Formats: sequence, structure tokens, C-alpha cells
Amino acid sequence: MQFKDQISFVQQHIKKNKMRVFMTVLAATMGTAFLIVLASVGFGIHETVREEVLSNRLVTEIQVYTNEMDEEKAEELKKRDHVKAVIFRQHLGTMQQSSVGEFTGDHELIVTDFVEEGKVNFELQEGRLPQKSNEVVVGSHFADNLIDQQDVGEDGEFTTYKGKLIGEQFIYKIGDDKGDLIEDEIPLTIVGVGKKPAKDWDQDRKVYADASIIPELEKIYFSHVDKIDEEHPDAQQLFYGNVNVYADKLENVKAVSAALKDDGYSVYSISEELEQLDVFFLALKAGLVFVGTIAILIASIGIFNTMTMAVTERTREIGVMKAIGADPKLIQRLFLMESAWIGILGTVLAVVISYGVSIVSNYVLPIIVTAALGEEDLGGMNVTFSIIPWQLVVIASTISIGVAMISGWRPARKATKIDVINALRQEL
Amino acid sequence: MISIRNLNHSFKVGKKGKERQVPVLKGLTFDIADGEIVSIVGKSGSGKSTLLHIMAGFLTPESGEIHVQGVQTSSFSEVESAKFRLDHFGFVFQNFQLMPGLTAFENVELPLTLKGISKSERQEKVNDLMQSVGLTDVQDHYPNELSGGQQQRVSIARALVTDPPIIFADEPTGSLDSETEADVLLLIQSLNKTRGITFVIITHDDEVAQTANRVYRMHDGVLTEGGVQHAI
Ligand SMILES: Nc1ncnc2c1ncn2[C@@H]1O[C@H](COP(=O)(O)OP(=O)(O)O)[C@@H](O)[C@H]1O
Ligand SMILES: [Mg+2]
Repeated sequence: MQFKDQISFVQQHIKKNKMRVFMTVLAATMGTAFLIVLASVGFGIHETVREEVLSNRLVTEIQVYTNEMDEEKAEELKKRDHVKAVIFRQHLGTMQQSSVGEFTGDHELIVTDFVEEGKVNFELQEGRLPQKSNEVVVGSHFADNLIDQQDVGEDGEFTTYKGKLIGEQFIYKIGDDKGDLIEDEIPLTIVGVGKKPAKDWDQDRKVYADASIIPELEKIYFSHVDKIDEEHPDAQQLFYGNVNVYADKLENVKAVSAALKDDGYSVYSISEELEQLDVFFLALKAGLVFVGTIAILIASIGIFNTMTMAVTERTREIGVMKAIGADPKLIQRLFLMESAWIGILGTVLAVVISYGVSIVSNYVLPIIVTAALGEEDLGGMNVTFSIIPWQLVVIASTISIGVAMISGWRPARKATKIDVINALRQEL
Repeated sequence: MISIRNLNHSFKVGKKGKERQVPVLKGLTFDIADGEIVSIVGKSGSGKSTLLHIMAGFLTPESGEIHVQGVQTSSFSEVESAKFRLDHFGFVFQNFQLMPGLTAFENVELPLTLKGISKSERQEKVNDLMQSVGLTDVQDHYPNELSGGQQQRVSIARALVTDPPIIFADEPTGSLDSETEADVLLLIQSLNKTRGITFVIITHDDEVAQTANRVYRMHDGVLTEGGVQHAI
């Protein structure tokens, strides 16, 4: 029998029992849609959590520990595959003081590369990045750390600086190796204020300058302190560098880390912790798919029933076909095609419905949740409740069509076993 | 040609544990020549249908050999037997056994569809056949919209459509009135003449049996030849 004749044969039988087949397809659709929607919540929450973690720059960060970091090495690191940015920050190994009028603070100066910083979320809340030497950006909590030691407020606390920052000049001093401030004043102009750190408890009081400030600071420092050389091997150096390498994508953190390790660097990244997160969500999704599969199994009882009835009803017709000379395998195939058709139609409908439910719930649920919590938004979190990736569609379709065919299997076997003589004896 | 040698068959009857064997066919040996109309006549329950079922391959005999056109069919598997039927046999049953969901045309088409013949070829073949058995007017009717005689014509057309050398007919006129019975028997005779098809007709009716070239009488599981009635 040609395949297209088999199809039209099956179609004819389905048409004859429209209502029964429809109800069975409906059950299969509901089971499959339940599976997809349920698992899509797992995918949605996973994505939300990932997004949340990913939006934090720490995730792609690889901390590199080395004694001998310099500009040249930093440049080499930038050229590596999958490296998005290399931030070479240099701290001063000595005491520091900033002052605006009566207000003073012990802010830490960081020499960094603003181009690289900009690649990984370093943003300004106001102002611009430095363009000349002696221009700096200050952290968001810079002013909170500028204190007037003489003036105690009504609440018993020292008064902090409340004036404007942008355009303001302040005096910056560094200490020598004995802990005394060097008199030389370095005037720095604030041209930008950094964005608040993502976490509420984090405070950024630093002063950020670019490398153009290094010569001036070294000049002042080493006019009071010995340089490291053969005569003074134990002398203090002024700058200490640390390097953070940022991978372009989370997936590449591992590879970049491994390459760095191979080259003798000590590295640390939290990608491994994120891997655990992924494992957890994989288990969660598998669990949800399993629960959803139970719904499909319940629907499969309907398919089994429908197919068993179809075979029983058509016993005489099957007998006639076998008498004429139909191969038992063909008869089995015709019934399997019928149950597969129920599975396929149910799956297609379920996929369409699930996408609809997913879209609507992503739109409606945040509104309901925020209304219930009485908040403006979900703490700034971008929550996705349901995501249906193509993998989920493939998994659900395989389960659903597979279960449909398995439940059609026994009835189809039964059809092939029908005895011709008994079947022909049946009354019309 | 069909040759049957020493064919025995018995059925198990009775409750489980207390079954006993009831012999139905007892050492049958006979031949059916090509192009003959052979009738097997006997009382109800004498084992005629059982014999047909064995010849057709619906039932495996207890012992004995059957050769159809030189091929031993008695040791066929179910699948082999089905394939052989599709190529060599046509069937006409007492209660027509048409597919209720198919039109007359589609019923006749069915064996060709099973053989995997293309739609256009099927249509041509069935159209010709419907014309020659006089069913063109009712070809789009469903079985329940046809008279008994028309249904039996459809069933004969279905048996003919694959051009089998042999057609088995189990009580082909059993459900028809005497007038239609005569029609159907005439059709069988003319098909036998024009196409040279061998017919094996099973009947309890002596009159029907007499239309055959050769009559076998079934009695108590034993077959005796009742003599050639008409010369070909
Ligand atoms: N499946 C079966 N099990 C037991 N006995 C059977 C079976 N089929 C037929 N018989 C018996 O075999 C005998 C012959 O039946 P059958 O060949 O149908 O007779 P006929 O067609 O000549 O009327 C009958 O007595 C019948 O009861
Ligand atoms: Mg009978």
C-alpha cells in the first residue's frame, strides 16, 4: 500500500469518529501544554536568576594574582581570545588625604584605564571621564567621607561635605614611607561621579585617575623616599597593581581561566559557583518535565481507550482486509499512524497554546505580583516567568508523540492478531 | 490448479480441561483443475467452510498438504499466506463483507490499493470492471445504499479486480432471493468463460451446486465426487 493511500485511509477513519478523536486530541493537548508551561517556568526562573547574576560584572570577572604586572602584560592579556576587558588597577601603597576646604578624607586613589573600565559596566551618574591629567572621577560616596573634624552637628556626628562635586577642585596629598604626609599639594579636579554600586551596602569612596597622574605622584614620592635599587632592595614601591580579566561571555570564563592558569597566573572566578546554579536548575527543569509527563501519561489512557475501541469496532473490517491479503504489519502500521496522528495534532496544538499562555503570563503575572506586593516594581528585577526554548518543544514533542505511539501500540498489535474467520463471522 | 492431499483437521471443543477433539475433515484428497467451476455441497456443519478456510490460508490444517499452482501453501506463515492471497485469490462471501465506510467504487479499488498500485491505474481498472459487471450507476453508493444483489456484484468485482486465477465463494447466493441468485450464478459462469477464472463455490443448495462443472459432496468430513455435470 502506498504511503499516501495509508494516510487517506487513516484520515477516513478519523473523520468517521470525529468527536471521539477530538476529545482524545484535546486530552493529549492539555497534557502536553501542561508539561510545556510547567517546565517553561523552570526555564523562566533560571533565565531570570542568570540575568540577575550576569548583570553583575563579577560573574565574568577573573581575578589574576601576580607580583609582576605591568602595562605591557596587561596589553598582552587584552589580545587573548574571548577577553572582553583587562582592568589593570594600581593602588598606592602609602597613606593618602583629600581635602576640600575644612573637609578632609582618606580616600584611596586608583589609577586605571577608563576605556577598559567602560567595557564592563563602569558608568558615571554625572559628569564625564577625565581628559587631562589631574582630572579625576570620584566614587558615589566620595562626599560622605569628606568630614569636618572641627564641626560636630546636632546629632553628635561630624558634618560631611554637602557641596557640589562636579568641577570642584580638591587637594590631594600622599604620605611617605614613615607615615607622615608630604607637604606637596596635588590639585585634582572632579569631572565625573561614578554610579552607585549595585548593592545597597556597597560604598564607593575611591578616586579614579588615569595613568597620566603616575609621573607626578612618583616624582613627589621618590623625592622623599628611596627608590628600589641595588642599594635599597627593601624600599617600598609606590604602586601595587592588580588585574581583573573579563571574559566576553560566561561560557568562556572557564576557557580563559584555564589558559591563564596554563601561563602560570593564579586566577579566581565565580563561574564554578554559577555552574552549580546551572546544575540545580537542570535538576529543577528535569523534575518539572517529569511532573508534566505524568499529565501526558494520563492523557495516554485516553489514547489507549480510543484506539482499543477503534480496533474493536473495526474487527470485521480488519478481518476482511486480512482475508483479501493485507499484510498484518500494514494493519499495525495503520493503527499506529492513527495514534501518532492524535499525538502529533495534540502536540502541535499544545505548542501553540503554550506559547500563548507563556506570553500572556509574562505580561500579566508581573502586574498581579506587583499589585499584590504593593510595590512599584520587583526591586528593579526584570522577572521572566516563563520561557519556552526550542529544546523544551523538542523534549515535550518527543515525550508526547512517543507516549501516544506507545499507547497505540497494544491496540495496534491486537488488530494484527484478529482472527480472520472469527472476524468474518461477526454480524454486520 | 489446486491439489489437496490427505487433509485432516479437527477442532477442540468443550470447557477448559475437558476439551475433546472433534474431527471435521478426514483425510481429504482431491484436485481442482484450472478454469473449472467446482462446487462443494453438503449439509450445514459438514465442514465445507472449514475446507475453504484451509485452502485460503485462514486456517492451518492439522495435517495434509495443499499445493496451489505448484506452490505448497499449507506450510505458509501468516505473512506469506496474506501475500499469496493478495496475488492469487479472490473472495466472495455470503454476507458480502464490504467495507461500510467505502463506496462501491472504493470497495472494488481496495485490493489494488493494498497491492500498492497507483491511483490512476486503479481508477482505470476499476472503471472498466464496474462497467463489465454493470455497477457504473451505483459506484458512488455506500454498501448500505445497495440491494443484496448489487452488493454481491460489488463483492465479485472486488474479487476480480486483481485478476486472480482462483476465486473462492462461500455461499455466494445464501443471502439472495432466487432471481438475484440466478443473476449472480450467470455472472460467475460468464466470468469463468471469458476470463478463465477457477471458481470454488461452497453451497448447501443442490441447485446452486449443479451450475458447476464438477460437484464434490461433503459428508461427515469426507468428500466424494458427484460427477461432472456439464462439459466445458
Ligand atoms: N473454531 C471452531 N471451533 C470448534 N468447532 C468448530 C469451529 N469452527 C467450526 N467448527 C465446527 O466444525 C464443523 C464444520 O463447520 P463449518 O466448516 O463451518 O461447516 P459448514 O460450512 O459446512 O456449515 C461444525 O460442526 C462446527 O461446529
Ligand atoms: Mg459454512
